[in-house]
Amino acid sequence: MGLSKKVKKLAIIDACVDTPEEIILAADLVPHRLFGDPSLPHSAADEHVPPTHCVWTRNILEQGLRGLPGDIAGLLSIHGCDCTNRQFDIWLDSVKADFMYFLNSPLKRNNTALKFFSEDLKEFALQLEEYFKVEITDEKLHESIVLMNKIRETLKTISEFRNKMILKYSELHELLKLVLTSDKSQALKICEDKLEELKTRDSFSESHLKRILLTGSVLDDTSFIKQLENTGFHIVIDDLCLGTHYFWNTIEESGDPIKAIAQYHLEKPIYSTKVPSHARYEYMKTLIDAYSVEGVVNIAQKFCESVLYDHPFLKTKFKELNIPYLFVEKEYNREAYKQLSTRFDAFAEII
Amino acid sequence: MSTEEEPKRRKVLDATLGLKNIMGRHFLAIEQAYRDGKPTAWATSGTPVELLYTMDVQPMLPENSATVSAAQHLSKNFIEIAEEQGFSYDLCSYFKTNIGAVAENAEMIKGGTRKPTFMLSSDVICDTHVDWFQTQAERMKVPHFTIDVPHIVSNTNQRQYEYYKKYVSEQLWELMDFIEVHTGHKLDIEKAKKVARNSYELGTLWQEIFDLRKNIPCPVSTRDTFGGLFPLFTMTGLKAPIRLYKRMYREAKERVDDGIGALREEKYRLAFEGIPFWYNLKFFSKLEQWGAIIVYETYTYAFSKYVNPNVTEQMVISKPIEAMSELMLKFWYIYDLQTRIKKYKEMVDEWKVDGVLLHNNMSCRPNSCGLYDLKRHLQEDYDIPCLIIDCDMNDPRKMNETQLENKLSSFFELLEQRK
Ligand code: SF4
Ligand code: SF4
Repeated sequence: MGLSKKVKKLAIIDACVDTPEEIILAADLVPHRLFGDPSLPHSAADEHVPPTHCVWTRNILEQGLRGLPGDIAGLLSIHGCDCTNRQFDIWLDSVKADFMYFLNSPLKRNNTALKFFSEDLKEFALQLEEYFKVEITDEKLHESIVLMNKIRETLKTISEFRNKMILKYSELHELLKLVLTSDKSQALKICEDKLEELKTRDSFSESHLKRILLTGSVLDDTSFIKQLENTGFHIVIDDLCLGTHYFWNTIEESGDPIKAIAQYHLEKPIYSTKVPSHARYEYMKTLIDAYSVEGVVNIAQKFCESVLYDHPFLKTKFKELNIPYLFVEKEYNREAYKQLSTRFDAFAEII
Repeated sequence: MSTEEEPKRRKVLDATLGLKNIMGRHFLAIEQAYRDGKPTAWATSGTPVELLYTMDVQPMLPENSATVSAAQHLSKNFIEIAEEQGFSYDLCSYFKTNIGAVAENAEMIKGGTRKPTFMLSSDVICDTHVDWFQTQAERMKVPHFTIDVPHIVSNTNQRQYEYYKKYVSEQLWELMDFIEVHTGHKLDIEKAKKVARNSYELGTLWQEIFDLRKNIPCPVSTRDTFGGLFPLFTMTGLKAPIRLYKRMYREAKERVDDGIGALREEKYRLAFEGIPFWYNLKFFSKLEQWGAIIVYETYTYAFSKYVNPNVTEQMVISKPIEAMSELMLKFWYIYDLQTRIKKYKEMVDEWKVDGVLLHNNMSCRPNSCGLYDLKRHLQEDYDIPCLIIDCDMNDPRKMNETQLENKLSSFFELLEQRK
């Protein structure tokens, strides 16, 4: 894809991974997902958001209020939870990027929702075309679908090295963050190189590590993942947006590309903001069997209602399944992570 | 009565006393439905309860039941039961009240509710509604239908609005199929028209009562509106509450004609944003010690529903589904920030409001999001004094009365200086 000229980025606020990156690429823009920065104090965001609101969206808003980097040409926010949805108006009012779109990724996953989502994706494409004076053709969309599918397939193959005790999730996590902020042709190259390198690596020797499945809210601070790993866990598989949800499925390469993109998002592993969120359990159950998982760790960002509502259901289900389950709420700053160590240690011991 | 003998405040409207009867009828209708084997449904606020009445399904609104628990000081216990089950301290206290009440098998008069034939929720107001019914439907093993309502933001354009509306309409048709499958009841168009007409009349009557509150002195206080609101949730589409609202209107109008206010000496006229503290309604009476009366509550006004100028009486009757879709997409409770600020300014002018109390509800993310920005705009752009109150509508543990009184005291000092 011709992105050699001056690269323009579109900032993304996404509680999951519902961003139609293919459309953004077809508009000659680079999708640039915003990640939290746990070192940031929230002084500006606190003026806009009450203390009982999700710590992650507060952190992202803080970054917006302090000023996004100069190469960001606009912003896309995806329908997620009450916090992401309602805060979009605060962005419009106080951050004021030149181009701002709120994409209503549907709650439900049926044909009516599919038709609706396709319409909203078309509207998004239209507004990109009008604002950035570009043409989003079916050919360009097809080209970006093929590129993104290659990235997804490569990532899925890479992810399997976790099962072979060669790759840690923290390393995959860093790679995913790079993919979500880079020009995608470069991202593919990075993924392919990583795959080649992994093929030559030996498995790590820490055989005492407990094989866990990690689930929960959007977890985008790699140092938190590393802390978990350092407590004696190997995150052999996950049910996370910055994880399998991003690469588990691929997009149909024939037919109407917009519809195919919409369909992909309604068929990929479900997140807690969608309905029925309890279906997350079914997905996890298949992963537990396939990856010989010994325990499940569910991490909620503090005040993440979507995950908080699901927790008692999951607790009951994992008990029935006889799988050890740990639920933890986390703040969005590294000092606070340390206090969680004792809980992680205790859990490692019972597995 | 001579002036000296007149109390500082007047009692509630006589008509409001009839509310107990009306709500009693609602609970009796539920009991009757179970006796007769008639289908029942739980519904969240913001869903088209009219459709349930039209298809002969008896609605029950667990949010409403949760307030009943709170008013009897039972909510704290129910909330703690839910927390013991693993539901976080930070989740919605209506939801937790319901979890506890169901677990305890509480009677309906204590805020309990019964297993319905199906559940109907929507994300139009909050995610909680959907998660709540998903949880309870799973536990009670009943089917659950959710209406996915696209979220309107300050830069949504007309083109988007049109396909949002189409999406909601299509789901309402699906809902009717769902109801038919689970109850065997079909849509009766003539009944639909009758219910729609009643609903429209009820909503607009409520607005007319609110219009009377524009008068100085204000004839109606929160003593009438906080309770008076319930038929709008639970009985919209029926005849009985219309008669009650008509009586309320007539009595309030008489007060206006006689120059009588709900408060004898009305000094400050306030607006209240958010849900009241159901376990401590006395708080609102306390405002009277400063000579203040609440003349407008966005929450109680919002559920009059018919505030969308696109929705006319004619449309409600001839195209009920289209009207319902429009109504679900635009109403007070879900206005985008820009519209919310604009409507606030209009309201403050029309109801001659001196200051606004904003309830930062720790239970309710959607209601409290944007509250700080609303306050900033009202103060900076329009010089309207505002006070944020941190509290919770159903969880008494989250109310700090002393702090609240101190804050109010300073606020009234400020208002005094502006007089
Ligand atoms: S962490 Fe939870 S509350 Fe926060 S944005 Fe994500 S889904 Fe919403
Ligand atoms: S209080 Fe807020 S979160 Fe709770 S049910 Fe009402 S709108 Fe939803």
